[in-house]
Amino acid sequence: MTQADVRGSIEVAGRTITRGDIEDFLYAEADILDAWDYDGWFALFEEGARYEVPTTDYRGWSLHTGGSFVDDDYDLIKARVKRLKSRKAHAENPHSRTHRLISNVRLFPGEEEGTLRIRASFVAHRARDGQFDTYVGWYEHVVVPTDAGLKYRLRRTILGHEALPVGARLSFIL
Amino acid sequence: MSSEVSERVAEPMLVEDWERLTFRVNREAYRSPEIFARERVDVWLRTWLYLGHETEIPDVNDFKVRTIAGRPLIFCRDTEGQVRAWLNSCPHRGTVLCRETEGSQRRFQCFYHAWTFNNDGTVAAIPDDGAYEDIESLQKNMMLRAVPRLEIHEGYVFISFNPDVPPLLEHLGDAADYMTMIEQQHASGVTTLPGVQLYSVRGNWKLAVENAMDGYHFSPTHNTFVGYLRESGFAVTDDNQYAYNLGNGHSLLVLTGHGGRISMVWEPRFGEDERVRTEEHRAEMVERLGEERAHYIADESHILFVFPNLLLFDIEGLSIRQLEPVAPGHTDVRAWQLVPREEHPDSRALRMKTVVSFVGPGGLATPDDIEAYEAVQRGIEATRGAGDLDYSDMSRGMRDEVKGEQGRSIDEGAMRGFWRYWEEAVGGGLAVTGDRPASFLEGRDVR
Repeated sequence: MTQADVRGSIEVAGRTITRGDIEDFLYAEADILDAWDYDGWFALFEEGARYEVPTTDYRGWSLHTGGSFVDDDYDLIKARVKRLKSRKAHAENPHSRTHRLISNVRLFPGEEEGTLRIRASFVAHRARDGQFDTYVGWYEHVVVPTDAGLKYRLRRTILGHEALPVGARLSFIL
Repeated sequence: MSSEVSERVAEPMLVEDWERLTFRVNREAYRSPEIFARERVDVWLRTWLYLGHETEIPDVNDFKVRTIAGRPLIFCRDTEGQVRAWLNSCPHRGTVLCRETEGSQRRFQCFYHAWTFNNDGTVAAIPDDGAYEDIESLQKNMMLRAVPRLEIHEGYVFISFNPDVPPLLEHLGDAADYMTMIEQQHASGVTTLPGVQLYSVRGNWKLAVENAMDGYHFSPTHNTFVGYLRESGFAVTDDNQYAYNLGNGHSLLVLTGHGGRISMVWEPRFGEDERVRTEEHRAEMVERLGEERAHYIADESHILFVFPNLLLFDIEGLSIRQLEPVAPGHTDVRAWQLVPREEHPDSRALRMKTVVSFVGPGGLATPDDIEAYEAVQRGIEATRGAGDLDYSDMSRGMRDEVKGEQGRSIDEGAMRGFWRYWEEAVGGGLAVTGDRPASFLEGRDVR
């Protein structure tokens, strides 16, 4: 994308959304996830939204036509949240401690009317079982401004790893 | 106990008692560097190993780079279309020749001294080769080093570092037909897709094998996933699910009460359109393969372990999982999705979603499996050096075995078969008390 595409604010559905708005949205989500408030996290999705984590060999294909790590439709996001709230989600019981840093936030007009695209970088640290793992990558989200604030239509995490290293299974939300 | 004692690998590796009906595995098998080194030689450098699927390199000049048994390899299709496996190491001084992970090229050039090789292994160029006494024999001696053996069954490419290994089909034995059954699921055959799950676990490779052959863990470990299935309208049961030892270390779970199967067994969460497509596909299978074969292929889920590094999950969808031991407590895992070459886009989308929701490090179930065997790897440190206490128990189902009853998937018979075969390969001692029932030890007539 060219420099001309990078902008500090975007007009969507008659509203002005600034980079500050998007940063606040992403930072608030990071706090929600680090606090293990999974109901709060689920509320960030519009009905019918998706959560995707492609595999590390991802070259831009649709997850409907290739393998992936996470390919959740709205029902599966709901199931994932329900699972993570259960004490029988063994992979996250006890919960990991996580700490997320989000940076390089940029916004672009969405392909669909009334949406905008976010690109941002993240670093997430996870402490569990005496181990400390790091995940890095990019967010490529599609969000919709609503009366109740920004909502995800697509939440997509692109990993920067060549492979998921030891301990780095995606048992929590990245 | 002294530290000297606790660091020694105590024998025996397996303790089998047919009077008390117990079977125990020495926990050193999961954590000892000495055992790991013995496995490298006595298992990984001796038998057939799964390298990859032919459909990963569909076109001439396609290649993938992959490490098997710790050895970097180039898995490629040469300009003539032949599947090859080269040691990824320049014959000149040993440099890794290909430093890309995948691609398409006719030649591989070493960046160090610019020696260049065709993908059929022949030398393409050695700069300033006039400096050598006998160019002709140099070119011949400096061809790419091939993996000693390579054979293909139903698109599954196997290699061996042992030139004297018996033919692949002999090694696969009863496992071979289950691989054929996967190929036969669809008239168009099956193919692998991009989107490969590459991940590592902090656990011994044999714990991954055990986990796959262990139906006993399913309900407690995957409680949250079973709950999701129930809510989406599918009953899950442990009834009529059996475990088989197929010989040569291979094993099989046959599961009938374990979720729907895309294009085979419909369930409500797949939707009405998929029900119609499933019925049509079933009718086509019966016509192509006959009622009985179609029944075995479509109505049962299979989890097949091909010793030592291949797991085929023929369940909701089809997954290939490959195990690569890195260290006693560290295993790399690679998983591909296998799909019909020709499939309705909606079925494909449903298949990918359904498979991934269960299988893989981001699914709703596999993370709990990984949690379990990583927890084993940590927990078995507690009894290190504790002699008779330093064993894991795998006795479940022996009572039925002596009665000659087929082992259930929720027993541990498939694991015992695996471990006996492993012990034969690696050694370390097997202590047997009482008489083994021969009918069981020779395995079962699976079909």
